Amino acid sequence: MVNMVIDGRKIKVKEDSTILENLKDLNIAVPTLCYHEELSSFGACRLCTVEIKANGKWKLAASCETVVENGMEVKTDSKKVQESRKFAAQLLYYKYPTTTVVRDVALKLGVDVSDAKAGDNDCILCGLCVRACEEVVEVCALTFRDRGLGRDIDEPEIEFDPNRCIGCGSCAYVCPTGYVKMEEAEGKRVIWDKVFKMVACDVCGRYFAPKDQLEYISQTTGVPMSKLSTCVTCK
Amino acid sequence: MKTVSFSSWNGKIVDNRKGKVSKAAKSLDIKFPAQFGDGVSAVMGWNGLVVMDPGADVVSLTINYLKEARKLSCGECSVCRIGIDKLLDIFGKMAEGDGNKQALSEVEEIVGGVSENSKCNYGQSVLFPVLDAIKGYKTDFESLIKGEKKLEMKEYSSAVTAPCMEACPASVDVPGYIELIKNFRFEEALDLIREKCILPGVIGRVCTHPCEDACVRKDIDEALSIRTLKRAAADYDLQEGSSSLGFPAEEKEEKVAIIGGGPAGLAAAYHLRSMGYQVTIFEALPRAGGMAAVGIPDYRLPEDVLGHEIDVIKRMGVEIKLNTKVEKLSLGDLRKQGYKAVFAAIGSHLGTNIGAEGEDQGYEGFVDGVEFLRDMNLGKKIQPKKKVAVVGGGNTAIDCARSCFRLGFEDVQIIYRRSRAEMPANVEEIEEAEHEGIKINFLMTPVKILAKNGKVTGLECIKMKLGEPDESGRRRPVPVKGSEFTMDLDMVIPAIGQKTELFAVAGKDKFELTDWGTFKVDPVSYMTNVEGVFAGGDCVTGPAILIDALDAGNKVAQSIDCYLRGESVSEEISFEGIDLKQQRGQGYIAKVAAEKAGLLDVDKRVGSFEEVEEGYSVPEAMCEADRCLRCYRLMVWA
Repeated sequence: MVNMVIDGRKIKVKEDSTILENLKDLNIAVPTLCYHEELSSFGACRLCTVEIKANGKWKLAASCETVVENGMEVKTDSKKVQESRKFAAQLLYYKYPTTTVVRDVALKLGVDVSDAKAGDNDCILCGLCVRACEEVVEVCALTFRDRGLGRDIDEPEIEFDPNRCIGCGSCAYVCPTGYVKMEEAEGKRVIWDKVFKMVACDVCGRYFAPKDQLEYISQTTGVPMSKLSTCVTCK
Repeated sequence: MKTVSFSSWNGKIVDNRKGKVSKAAKSLDIKFPAQFGDGVSAVMGWNGLVVMDPGADVVSLTINYLKEARKLSCGECSVCRIGIDKLLDIFGKMAEGDGNKQALSEVEEIVGGVSENSKCNYGQSVLFPVLDAIKGYKTDFESLIKGEKKLEMKEYSSAVTAPCMEACPASVDVPGYIELIKNFRFEEALDLIREKCILPGVIGRVCTHPCEDACVRKDIDEALSIRTLKRAAADYDLQEGSSSLGFPAEEKEEKVAIIGGGPAGLAAAYHLRSMGYQVTIFEALPRAGGMAAVGIPDYRLPEDVLGHEIDVIKRMGVEIKLNTKVEKLSLGDLRKQGYKAVFAAIGSHLGTNIGAEGEDQGYEGFVDGVEFLRDMNLGKKIQPKKKVAVVGGGNTAIDCARSCFRLGFEDVQIIYRRSRAEMPANVEEIEEAEHEGIKINFLMTPVKILAKNGKVTGLECIKMKLGEPDESGRRRPVPVKGSEFTMDLDMVIPAIGQKTELFAVAGKDKFELTDWGTFKVDPVSYMTNVEGVFAGGDCVTGPAILIDALDAGNKVAQSIDCYLRGESVSEEISFEGIDLKQQRGQGYIAKVAAEKAGLLDVDKRVGSFEEVEEGYSVPEAMCEADRCLRCYRLMVWA
């Protein structure tokens, strides 16, 4: 266990935990757009900022990325923290003025949000889909295309590799804005413009999973395809 | 830099403009390399704004700086990505005469917010000079807002480096390939590495990694394992075979001869071939790779790794003639065969004397280190002896000692004349040698080889102490009088240095040589005094590390291309003298534990040359890559 001070309260926390995990345990509200407890932290949205005392100086840090240290002091509601979160929200709103979750969080953090133009949901590059695909599904069909030295791309983006995708839909599930869309009809699922054939349950006849996904599970676990043709409810 | 009108470099204000704050300093305490200084009107870099010409258009410089800055912002954290976009929008509006009075305070707020809350070192440092500009040249920005100022239409130059890139002899874009690895783009990472380093699997295993010493993370927790990450990109290619290299898009008629198939020769061959030249490598030994092939044992660099990387170069259409020693380097003879340019990259494959009595007697059991490693690597059977001493403290000495341990020598010792702190070998190599039970004797040196019936029986050594520092900055070892002693041995391997085999001088062309017996070349073009003959690598610099030789090959290729096209070589941009670690914004950087690559168990190492270091798995490499702070340093000037 590690001793630390959060907003003046002395507490003991688990080693190797992040500040954000502890703030959640303490029911201290922290705005986030790129965080999911089942995934590694990424630090993209910069909304979960707190102040921490490092080498005698107070500095801003993203609470999702910062692992606790013994004797660490944290402020979660100082003026500086409020300003910093508002600043990050303001920028997000500047770039994605029509995205509902961005508008909501910006409004909560005191940004002047106009009433017009809501509802067209953008990709905010939070990276949740990329991490879900990499860490949970372990398929890596989604990757960041970043800018950098000699890489002449105008806007960073998330790239979809149709050859890797198994159509599981985890990306659509974690997407905070609703940008990643998954549609299903007549035994077909469409995600990232790729069409997947769905498999119907042997027992109830309901379409329950894409064929590619079942094949992937069969390949990685060694369970034959014939044993994967029953849906979870009928098993 | 002759005169400075204004500078904010590293936050220190120097202001020599009339009527400005009298307290400000008058002179700049940093000297910029020529291309940022002499003849330049103003430069904006990550660490400040420096104006030489009082009439320079700082507003225009600022906007151009931001455009370049935007290209380097990876885009993963929102504040840096959107912040820079918003700044450009604000300045764009100003330029269109659509700015308002609050615009400058808004700029200030964005710069502050991005610097304080960005994820990496790039975002935390890159915007400070923008703030300096709007503070120091406020009236210029105000006249832009009022529509009284027109922006200068000028060509701006820019350059980018990073502490790790600058430390790398080949200036490999380290943050660039690390970021690609982090994003599961191993093939692209490898392509980027290969632009400057065509032997990534080799360098990723055996480089002495000066980049890691320069890593900014080193001062926070632990330097990134840049070398192992490079290896990860190369290993991915080795496993997936996804290499994207092939025949060049366009063929050229001109033939180029390369003497020596080591790192320098291979690098030059790769680049010249990609430009379309017809390239032939003449290699004296039965295997290509130079010191990478015959100077490094398999447990550090497996044969198939180098083999794969040479195959990739061959697949592009480079011809490698093995067992072909060019005895007399004569451009005339090679010209007759149609070669328009020659690159001598013959390396340094001769051992140097240790200065002990009897070393020239040809005793059985007295074998030079480079020769020992070469014989072993070329498959010669080496009968293990009982007691062997290797003389020297560099990587060659450690390689010899650890090889002897594997060959089954009973007692392996190293004799080094200085102390542990001065040992030039890689720390990890020294540690592993000790784990294997190799004893390192510090502060002693051999004075006489003891022999009986022409066979080595031992060494007479003398103890040393450390005196005053010498030219290399290391403390000079001085013999302790009367401290002589003897060691019983049946083999002695001297491994203290190498020199170049001077066959070249025997040719018709008279080559100018240095005092060290290496080729004398033009520092920019790498051409020798004989027109059309270039030289690079160890045979110019004396024994150096592989990446130095690779870099020479890279540069010679550019130079030969210029020569064949009748153009002159442009000098590289230098950041020399600028402290690249300096950074004004120091946001909080969370400590993250480094990924450790596994090592082969010590008890599995005897009798086996199996690779010791295991490298990273794909997820491990991606995790380690995530620790990179992207310390890109940008300079824009006109």
